[in-house]
Amino acid sequence: MLPDSSSSQPEFDYLFKLLLIGDSGVGKSTLLLSFTSNTFEDLSPTIGVDFKVKHVNIGGKKLKLAIWDTAGQERFRTLTSSYYRGAQGVIMVYDVTRRETFTNLSDIWAKEIDLYSTNQDCIKMLVGNKVDKESERVVTKKEGIDFAREYGCLFLECSAKTRVNVEQCFEELVLKILETPSLLAEGSSGVRKNIFKQKPPESDAATSGCC
Amino acid sequence: MFGTQSTRDISFEFQSQIPNWRPSIYTRRANITVKFQDLYGFTVEGNVDDVNVLNEVREKVRQQGRVWWALEANKGANWYLQPQISSISEGIALKSSLKLSALTNTITLKRLIRKGIPPVLRPKVWFSLSGAAKKRSTVPESYYNDLTKAVEGKVTAATRQIDHDLPRTFPGHPWLDTPEGHATLRRVLVGYSFRDSDVGYCQGLNYVAALLLLVMKTEEDAFWMLAVLLENVLVSDCYTNNLSGCHVEQRVFKDLLAKKCPRIAAHLEALEFDVSLVATEWFLCLFSKSLPSETALRVWDVLFNEGAKVLFHVALAIFKQDRRPSKL
Repeated sequence: MLPDSSSSQPEFDYLFKLLLIGDSGVGKSTLLLSFTSNTFEDLSPTIGVDFKVKHVNIGGKKLKLAIWDTAGQERFRTLTSSYYRGAQGVIMVYDVTRRETFTNLSDIWAKEIDLYSTNQDCIKMLVGNKVDKESERVVTKKEGIDFAREYGCLFLECSAKTRVNVEQCFEELVLKILETPSLLAEGSSGVRKNIFKQKPPESDAATSGCC
Repeated sequence: MFGTQSTRDISFEFQSQIPNWRPSIYTRRANITVKFQDLYGFTVEGNVDDVNVLNEVREKVRQQGRVWWALEANKGANWYLQPQISSISEGIALKSSLKLSALTNTITLKRLIRKGIPPVLRPKVWFSLSGAAKKRSTVPESYYNDLTKAVEGKVTAATRQIDHDLPRTFPGHPWLDTPEGHATLRRVLVGYSFRDSDVGYCQGLNYVAALLLLVMKTEEDAFWMLAVLLENVLVSDCYTNNLSGCHVEQRVFKDLLAKKCPRIAAHLEALEFDVSLVATEWFLCLFSKSLPSETALRVWDVLFNEGAKVLFHVALAIFKQDRRPSKL
C-alpha cells in the first residue's frame, strides 16, 4: 500500500468512488479510519457526509479511492441520498452485536441503493463489523452469507478495532470493480481526475485535482 | 487585538481578527507542539507560538471579564438588566425589563457582544439575551423537574439513539465523558425529545446540548437554552424528521456564497464540490464540532443576540479565510 502523497500530483490508473452506508453506530467512520490511517478510535457520530482519500496498489494497478462516509440516523437519508450517484462500490455495514442494524439492511439500506444508485453494475459489499465482541454476537456468519447470496453482494466479517479483515473488505470490493469493464471504464484516469465529479469532464485536462 | 473598527459585516469583523494570527503562523517554530486544556475542558493541541498567542487572547478576555465584574460590583447585580428610563423608551409599552434595556442599548450591546461575552458572564447574558429566561417564565417553576420525572424510564426511538450517542459526544472530555456527564446530557436531550416530538432527537443536538451544559453549568438552564434555540433562534425545521430547514439553509448558503464570494464559488463549482459537504455539519452542530470551544462560543454569543443569520456570516468568513492570495 502506498501512503497518500498530498502535495504532488497524484499518479493513478483508476479513481473509484466508494460509499459506506448502514445504521447509526455500526462503525462506518471507524472502519474507514481503520483502513485509511491504520488506527482505531471511538469516533463521534458523523453529521451529514464525510470523505477520505487513499492511494493503494491492488491487482497491479495504482488506484485512488475516494471513500464517502455517511450519517446513519434515519433523517439524514434525505441528505445522503445524492452521494450514491456515480459510486462504483457500496459497502453496507452492520454491527454483529445488534440485530436491528442487520435487519435494517434489507428493510432500508438495500432499497436506498436501488433507489439512488445510478450505476447498474455497482458492486455491493456486505460487512459485519465488531467481530472482536464475539461474546456479544447476535447475528451469525451464516445469516450474513445468506443475505449476501440473496442480494448478490460480496461478504466479509471484520473488526475495525483489531483491524481483522479491514483491508480485505476494501481489497475484495476493488478487485471486483476491476473485473467489471463498465466500472473500469468509468474510473479510468483518462476520464476521471476529480473525486467530486459525478460525470466525466469534457475537456479540462489541466485541472489541478481536488483539495 | 479585537477589531475596533465598526464594520457593517460581521464576517468582515471575524476576519479582521485573523490577520493578527497570521504572522505567528508564518514564522512559528516548527515541530514544537504543546497540549493544554481550554476553559471548557477540551484538549487543545497546537504549535507553541500559536498557543502563546492564544494565551495572550485569553488574558485579554480575562481582563475584560474583570472589568465586567467591577461594573457589577459597582452598580449592583444584574445592573445591565435594569430598565433605563429614557425618553426613547418612555413612550413604548414594553413587557420586560430586558426588552427595554436591549432597546436602549441595542447598538452598544451589539458591539460589546461581538467583542465577546466574558466566559464568567456567559450563562447570565445568554439566558437573558436569547429569550430563554422569558420562555421559562411562561411555565410553572417545576416544569423541567416534572418533565424529566414524567419521561423517566420511557423508551422511544429518540431515547435509543440518544443512549447510543452519549458516550460518543466529545469522548474523553473530563466531565461530559463521565457517568454524571452522560446522565445529565441524557436528561436534557430526552426531556427535549418529549417536549417537541417533531424534532425528537436529531444527531448534532448532542454536541449543541453538551456545549450548552458546559457553559450554563445547570442542566435546567441548558434545557431552556436548547428550547429557545430550536424554537426561536434557529431556522425552523432544521432538525425535524426530513431536515427540511437544513436543506433550505444549505441552498441559501450556496446562493449566498455565489453572491458574496463569486470566485471561490466558481472554483468550487468547477470542482463540482458541493459546499453542503462541509457546511451541513457547521449548521447542524452550530460549529461546536468544527471550531475550538471558545471560538464556537464567540459565535454563539452573537447568535443569541443577532439570530440565525450569524451562522451564514461565519460560514462565509471561513470560506474567505481559506482564500490563499496566490491561488484565488
